[in-house]
Amino acid sequence: MVHTALPVASQAAWLRWAWLLPLALLPAVAALPADPASWSVSWVAPLGIHLGFAADGLARLFLLLVCVVGAAVLAYTPGYLHGHVRLGQLMGLLIAFTLAMIGAILADDLLLLLLFWEATSVLSFLLVGFERDSPDSRDSARQALLVTGAGGLALLAGFVLILLAAPGLRLSDLAQLDPAVLAQPRFQAGVALVLAGAMTKSAQFPFHFWLPGAMAAPTPVSAYLHSATMVNLGVYVMARFDEAMGAVAWWEGTLLSIGTLTALWGAMQAPRERDLKRILAWSTVSALGMLTVLIGLPNELGALAFVAFLLAHALYKAPLFFVAGNIDHATGTRLIDRLSGMRHAMPVTALVALLAGLSMAGLPTTVGFVAKDSMKAAKEVSDVLWVVEGASLLVSTVGVAIASVAALRIFFGAPAHPADCAPHEGGWRLTLPPLVLAGIGITLGMFPALAEPLLIDAARLISPTLTRADASLATEWLLRIESFAIVWAVGAFVYAGWNRLYRILERLRFLDRAGPAAAYGAALRGLKHVAGVLARALQARRLSRYLVATVAATVLLCMPWAFGLDFAPPVAIGVDAAGVLVGCATAILGAALAVRARDTLGRLLGAGAVGVGSAIVFLFRGAPDLALTQLAVETVFVVVAAVALRCYRQRQGAGAGPVDAWRAGVALAFGLLLGAVLLALSGRPFDAAMADYFLAQSVPHAHGRNVVNVIIVDFRALDTLGEIAVVMLAALAMWPLARRLPLKRPRQ
Amino acid sequence: MNAERPVVVDTTVSVLYWLMLGAAVWLLLRGHNAPGGGFVAALVAVAATVAHALVAGTAAARARLPLGPLSLSALGLALAAGSGLPALVSGQPFLTHWWGELAVGAAALKMSTVMLFDLGVALCVWGALGGFCLRLLGSLR
Repeated sequence: MVHTALPVASQAAWLRWAWLLPLALLPAVAALPADPASWSVSWVAPLGIHLGFAADGLARLFLLLVCVVGAAVLAYTPGYLHGHVRLGQLMGLLIAFTLAMIGAILADDLLLLLLFWEATSVLSFLLVGFERDSPDSRDSARQALLVTGAGGLALLAGFVLILLAAPGLRLSDLAQLDPAVLAQPRFQAGVALVLAGAMTKSAQFPFHFWLPGAMAAPTPVSAYLHSATMVNLGVYVMARFDEAMGAVAWWEGTLLSIGTLTALWGAMQAPRERDLKRILAWSTVSALGMLTVLIGLPNELGALAFVAFLLAHALYKAPLFFVAGNIDHATGTRLIDRLSGMRHAMPVTALVALLAGLSMAGLPTTVGFVAKDSMKAAKEVSDVLWVVEGASLLVSTVGVAIASVAALRIFFGAPAHPADCAPHEGGWRLTLPPLVLAGIGITLGMFPALAEPLLIDAARLISPTLTRADASLATEWLLRIESFAIVWAVGAFVYAGWNRLYRILERLRFLDRAGPAAAYGAALRGLKHVAGVLARALQARRLSRYLVATVAATVLLCMPWAFGLDFAPPVAIGVDAAGVLVGCATAILGAALAVRARDTLGRLLGAGAVGVGSAIVFLFRGAPDLALTQLAVETVFVVVAAVALRCYRQRQGAGAGPVDAWRAGVALAFGLLLGAVLLALSGRPFDAAMADYFLAQSVPHAHGRNVVNVIIVDFRALDTLGEIAVVMLAALAMWPLARRLPLKRPRQ
Repeated sequence: MNAERPVVVDTTVSVLYWLMLGAAVWLLLRGHNAPGGGFVAALVAVAATVAHALVAGTAAARARLPLGPLSLSALGLALAAGSGLPALVSGQPFLTHWWGELAVGAAALKMSTVMLFDLGVALCVWGALGGFCLRLLGSLR
C-alpha cells in the first residue's frame, strides 16, 4: 500500500528472507509422484477450459531446478543490488516469476499452460528492462517481448488447432494419443506452431538473438531466467510433445537440424564476444540447441541424456553467471581483456568458477561429465548423421574453451583489473549461493546414484520404455575416455588461441548485417515506415476527406445488401398532401442551395432549410412534437454554426471551384442508398404492437395525453436520464477543447 | 461586441429574450398533454441564450443563466435522477412516478414527480447546450 514510503532498511526486512520461500517448497516438490497424477477443476466451462494441473517425474525435475536456482537467486539478489531503490520491485518480480514457472510446469490444460507461459514472457520483459533508464535495456526488453510474444501467439494458434483436432486434450493425454488424431493434418499443423513457439522461448535459431540481448538484465535475472529456467520452458514443451510426435517423420528431423544449427551458431558467436556475460549467453544458446538435438534423438538414452544435460547445465551455468555478476560487482567491468589474476582478490568466486568450469568442460567427477557421458552413449546407440555428431564435437570443444575462459583466464595469471577499484568478495550472499549450486554439481558428479532415480523418472516421461537396467549413470568413464580426451585437448587448443580466434571470427561481421537480428531490426524499422506511410495516406487531417472516405466506405459496404432489398410501391399521399409538398419543396430547394452556394453561410442556410422542410413534413404527418424539436434544433444549430464558421479560417478555393465530380458521385450514391433503404423500410408491414400499448396505457398509467412526452419522461424515463447524462458529458468533454479552437474573428 | 450594431436588433432581442424564456416555460408545463416537453423547452431557452450572447456578449448571457452552465446542467441531472427516488420509498422500481392532486380553489391540479423529471431534463440540456454554445462563441477572438 505505502511500500514506497517505507525506509530502505525496513523494506529489506522481508527481502532478506525471500529465499526461504522456494526452499520451503522443496520438500513438497520432492514428494511429488513420479507417475502422472492430475488434479482438475472446471474454470471457464463454456470454453472447456479447466484449472488442470498434473505432476510427474519430468515436472518434478524442472520444479526442483526452479526452486533450487530460485532460492540461490533470491538469496543472491539483495547482496548484488544492495541499497538499490527498486530492489523490492526486482524481488517481487523474481518471486512472481518463480510462481509463474511453477504454474507453467504443473499446468495440464493447454490454455492454462499458455497463460503461465505468457506470464513468464511478460515478467522476463519487465526484468530485462529493469534498468529502465537505459535505452539499451529498454530495446533489449522490447526485443525479448516481441520475439517471445510472437512465439506465444504461435503457441496459442497451435493449441487452438490441436484442441480442434482433439477436443479436451490435456498434456498428460499426449502419452496415450490416438494415432488417428495424430495423423490429422490439423493436429500436426498445430504441433508445428507449438514447436515454433517453443523455439522462440528456448532461443533456437533463427529466434535466438533476443537471448544475448537479454543480458541487459541484472545478472541474477540472467542466471535465473536466461540460463536455468525460462529458456528451458520451450525445451520442456518440446519434450512433452516428443513421445507423441516421435513417430511423425518431420518432428525428429526438424529438432535435430534446428538444434544442431542453434548449437553451432552459439558456439561460433561466443568467441566473438569480449563481455563474459555475453560469452556465457551464447554458450547458453549453444546448450539449448544441444538439448533440442537430444530430444530429437530417437532412442531411450537420448531422453536420459536430455534430462542429465538439463540438470548439469543449470548447475554449472547459473554459478558461472553469478561469477560474472561478482566480477562486475567488484570491478565494474565484465570485459575479459581487462581482467586477470582475480583469484587473489576473490578466492571464493575463483573456486566457484573453477568448480562450475570443470563441470561445463565435462571433466570427471562433475555432473557435467555424467551428462556428457550419457550424451555420448545416446549418440553411440542411435545412427545420427555425421553432421550432428561433428557439430556436437565442435560445440563441446568450444564449451571447454569457454569454461576455461571463465574459470582460468580471469582468475589466473598476473593480477589485472580496472585501476579505479579495489576488488573484493561481496559477502556471503554473493559467494555462498553460487558455491552451493556448483557444490551440488560436483556432489552429483561424484555420486551419480543420488541423481539417478530423479533423472530416470523424468526421462521415462519422454521414453516410457526406459528402465533402470539399461540406463545406468555409473561412471564407467574409462570406457569413452579417448573421445573425451580429444575434446579436452582441442578445447585447450581453442582456449590458447582464443584471441586469435576472435580476430578470425571478427571477419564474419558481415553476418551481423544479414543475420536474424538484422532482419528483426529491419522488420521493426519497416513496421514504423509502413505505419508512417499508412498514417500519412489515411490521416488527411481534413474533416471533409474523412467524411468522404467514411461515406464512400459505407456505400461500398451496403451496396450489395441494398441490391437485395425488395421495394414496395411508395406510400400514397393523403389529403394533407399540400403541407407535405411544401415541406418537400423547402427541403429540395434547401438542398439545391447548399450544393450551389458559393460561401459557407449560404451552404449552412441551405442545410438549415432542409431541416425546416422536414419539420414541416413532420408537422403534417402527425408528429408535432418531432416538428417542434426539429425546428428548435435546426434554429440553434444554424445560428451557432454560422457564427463559428464565419470565423473559421476559410481555405482557399474550398467550395469556390467547380463541383468535385468524385465527391458529387459519392454524395449521389449515398443519397440513392439512403433513399432506397427508406423506400424499402416504408414498404414493410408496420408492427403497431408497441404503439398500441403506449396509446392505450398513456392516460390510465401516466396521466398524460402527449404519448411521446409520456414515453420520454415516464415509460422510458431511465433512458432519458441516461441521454441527458450523455448531453452533459458531451458539454464537459468539449469544455477544455473549445479554448484551443483555431478560430479567429474576421474583421468586421 | 460590435459598436455598429443596429439599435433595432438590440431592442428586439432584449424583448425577445424574455418572450423566448416564457415560451420555454410554457412548453415545459404543457408538455405532458400537448406538444412540448423539457427537451424542446430547453432548446428554446438555448436559442434565447444564444441570441442574447450575440447581442450583449457571452459574459452577459452567461450572467443571466441561473447558475454556471455546467452547474446548471448538473443540477438538472440531479433533479431528474432525484425525481425517481420517491418511488424507492414506496417500494416501486426507480423512476416510477408519483401522482397527487392539489386543490386550487375549485379546480384540482394534478402534481407529479414527472414535473420534476421534465424540469431536470430542461435544466440539464439548457446548461449543457447553452454552455456549449457560449463556450464556442466565447472562444472566437
